[in-house]
Amino acid sequence: MITKEMKISEILDKYPDTIKIFISISPHFKKLENKILRKALASRVTLEQAASIAGVEINQLLFELNKTINADFKNYVENKKANDTQQSINELKPDWLKNTPKEKIIELDVRPILDKGQDPFTDIMKKVKALKDDEILLIINSFEPVPLYSVLGRKGFEHYTKKEGNIFKVYFLRQKNFYEASPVQDQNYKQPSLVEFEEVMEIDVRDLLPPEPMIKILETLSQIDEKTVLLVHHHREPLMLYPKLEERGYEAISHKIDENYYKVLIMKKKK
Amino acid sequence: MNNQNSVAGIYSPPFRIVVKYFVATILSFIVFNLMLLIDYKSISGHHFQPKILSINHILTLGFITMIIFGAMFQLVPVVLEVKLFSAILAEIQFWIYTAGTILLAYKFYFFTSSLSFEFPAILLSLAMTIFAINISITMTRVKKWNITGTYLASALFWLLITALAGYLLSKNLDSPFIKINHLQYLKLHAITAFIGWVSMVVMGVSFKLIPMFTLSQGHKLNLAKWTFFLVNIGLLGINWIMHYPETGIYTLIFGLLIFVGIVLYLIQIFIIFKKRIRKRLDIGLKFSAFAFIVMGISALLNFSFLFFDYERIKNLTLIYGFIVLVGYISFLIIGQMYKIVPFLVWYHKYSSKVGLEKTPMLKDMFNEKLAELQFYLMISGLVVLIPSLLMELQIFIFIAFVLFSLSSLIFGFNMIKIFRS
Repeated sequence: MITKEMKISEILDKYPDTIKIFISISPHFKKLENKILRKALASRVTLEQAASIAGVEINQLLFELNKTINADFKNYVENKKANDTQQSINELKPDWLKNTPKEKIIELDVRPILDKGQDPFTDIMKKVKALKDDEILLIINSFEPVPLYSVLGRKGFEHYTKKEGNIFKVYFLRQKNFYEASPVQDQNYKQPSLVEFEEVMEIDVRDLLPPEPMIKILETLSQIDEKTVLLVHHHREPLMLYPKLEERGYEAISHKIDENYYKVLIMKKKK
Repeated sequence: MNNQNSVAGIYSPPFRIVVKYFVATILSFIVFNLMLLIDYKSISGHHFQPKILSINHILTLGFITMIIFGAMFQLVPVVLEVKLFSAILAEIQFWIYTAGTILLAYKFYFFTSSLSFEFPAILLSLAMTIFAINISITMTRVKKWNITGTYLASALFWLLITALAGYLLSKNLDSPFIKINHLQYLKLHAITAFIGWVSMVVMGVSFKLIPMFTLSQGHKLNLAKWTFFLVNIGLLGINWIMHYPETGIYTLIFGLLIFVGIVLYLIQIFIIFKKRIRKRLDIGLKFSAFAFIVMGISALLNFSFLFFDYERIKNLTLIYGFIVLVGYISFLIIGQMYKIVPFLVWYHKYSSKVGLEKTPMLKDMFNEKLAELQFYLMISGLVVLIPSLLMELQIFIFIAFVLFSLSSLIFGFNMIKIFRS
């Protein structure tokens, strides 16, 4: 049984298959496929924290994860979910959907994209961007795209979900009077800048005496560009390194593992 | 996740200020050794003599306390992750303190009536108070406290007690007013200085520096907590009981507390050394390891003093003084300076150039062979000195001081080499 207090790394160690679930639920988790990043980022992060970073509803994530690891649980929740879905389907269509003419509904079927093994997230966001205020976005998918509810919810969308056989139809409408991306919410959404990096370089300076760790790190900087993050395994927090990184336009995040082990992530400062 | 990049650039106090303390330290060490050589005939008999008191204070104030000041300005911000409250106060303090040290050494040496004892004592107490205020305010801003901070805070307290006792002693020399024996009060001043001030700093800082220099990991600092309580309670007790003419059984009790505390500390250090990754001890660590052994010997010796009248054995107090001041404290300071000074100079001059141009290796910044020679000269000096003092063999005392002087000149040479590289 996976709980929200468990560490991501712990979950992935115990149930390696869950990586697929993570990725299917949010593209933010894609970086977990990279073993180095996983080690660097996931060892202290609980499932709950990860969910909030990625903008995923925690219960949904828990549900999906537990479903894959446990057959009984799967049956239990399947039944429960069937009831829940039944309920939501029995709900009346909201007025905004009823009153919208057909040509104002923009349809996006993400199933072909998923079949190709691609992530539909960017396609969806493109459509969202192009969407006019009086238009409705209809997403058609083979499963209920729960993460989208919160992602688009933060952008001021309400949704209505309808199950037709094996497919889910989700309608999104931009709420009136919603100021898109008020600063606080926007910040929350953008928070994990780390997931934007594509390459990770890793060095271990734990068996070096001062100032050799500093020398090695500074010498490695020339290989670190905007898309690369340098992961340093250090035996202490490199306080005297920070000003030197600053001088060269880099910044660092130190992450204490224990008294004698720090993971230091170094990246180029954003202009 | 702990985002630290907002604190970048605030940790190091200005290099030019710290350097003054370091240069004064190196000079004092050479002066101390040369004066021993010049006045070797005076280094005998009772310790309460003008020249011995003068030379002693050149070492304790000019060398030991000077380097602690300089090193703490550098270390406190790094160890406690906080900015030094005032670099200007550190600079002002330096000049007041240096003047006080020189005047006190001068006054002790010549016992001239044109200068009071009180005046240099006021200067020194003022400088120490400035230091204590500067570091205390710095400490109130610390966010993540650790055991080194606790040790350093207690050291500040004992520094002020030492200064106060020193000031009262100086007034008493000008015109006697202390009701208890001057020498008993002097003993209190010395115990508080060596155990409360010097050893508290040494212990606290060593929990950070020794693992850093030996790459030790995975040790717990449980014993360090016990040492802290035992030594401080012992010291409070000693400071209380020695204000009475008869100390009786109490010195034994409090002395025992301090002794056990120091033994636990040495076990703690032994554990840290045991867990080191780098097995080879470089010259800095050789000096330090030797110092820790001598620290154990001096604690044992001091403890034994509780059981017999050590002042009746000729020169034993002097021998004990040399063991503590040279064998333990000076060895440790020199060892740590061979580690810290190259790093500071390198950091100041070269750290911004790494990867852009060639920078020197730390071990190439001084002559390690000569440092090695210095190590053995100092040990030989001690080995020759102790029996010669015991047997009052003046010529051998002279030889011991020649060895010491040579070693101090090597130290001066190496330190200059580091600063100029």
